[in-house]
Amino acid sequence: MDGIRYFEDVEVGEEIETPARTVTEADVRTFAAISGDHEALNQPGGEPGLSSTIPELLVVAITSGLGFRIPAPQPQVLAFMVLDWRYVAPVRIGDTLRCRIRTTAKRALRDGGVLVEKREMINQRGEVVQEAEYKLMVARRPRE
Amino acid sequence: MSELDRQYFEDIQIGDEYLSPGRTVTEADIVAFAGLSGDYNVLHTDAEFMRTSIFGERIAHGLLGLAIQSGLGSRATPRAFATLAFLALRWRFKGPIKIGDTIRVRLKVSEKRETSKPDRGIVTIQRSVLNQRGEVVQEGDTEIMVERRK
Repeated sequence: MDGIRYFEDVEVGEEIETPARTVTEADVRTFAAISGDHEALNQPGGEPGLSSTIPELLVVAITSGLGFRIPAPQPQVLAFMVLDWRYVAPVRIGDTLRCRIRTTAKRALRDGGVLVEKREMINQRGEVVQEAEYKLMVARRPRE
Repeated sequence: MSELDRQYFEDIQIGDEYLSPGRTVTEADIVAFAGLSGDYNVLHTDAEFMRTSIFGERIAHGLLGLAIQSGLGSRATPRAFATLAFLALRWRFKGPIKIGDTIRVRLKVSEKRETSKPDRGIVTIQRSVLNQRGEVVQEGDTEIMVERRK
């Protein structure tokens, strides 16, 4: 292998765990600025003060990036097609998250291949806080 | 926040529809989102590589579009939903959001469900993200848990 991984190299059933990352107040404020969703900074019920809970979509964003820190080549993602996502438990400022990624299905297309992944976002206590299914289009091995 | 500022489960009706203001997605948004998420995929960060791609330029992260529409959604409703939790999402990324595209989100309440707890209910909202040409670039459903009036 030339250090590049393609659709053909991925096997159904393979599982990988990403490095971890601590989610901070700075991340929450940056996310509010980017998304424009300042409600996420408020406590549920409109109580004063910064909420200690992390917006769910920030968790999705951060755990999606963790895949890029896996110390082995990963297939080039050409398009994000489908995201099915479910809340399991709250994430709080200071929690440290990692992501467990399992390939559950694959399907070859003419110009790429579709990978279906089950992703579990896990905190420092090993509790699953979110679950998701990703459908990604990735690059196929170029034909000779 | 007073009770008048928020829409409780009882106030929300199936069929309620909202259209958000627009927001132009800029290069700065994409760079900031790459930094925050750690997703430096060439699709979003390598202008030279993307010049030769079918898109012709860098495109926004799908999850950046998802984040921006959530912020737009909060600006679409004159009174915010009394949301207690974000429970589930079923989402399709249908087309690229390019630098300079202006997106809006259309929200439609499609389902209301009571739960075993009398102080809350579950609301499903259909969301379509539209670009400046009216093309749907992302769409899906979100399920939120909403407070009931005391």
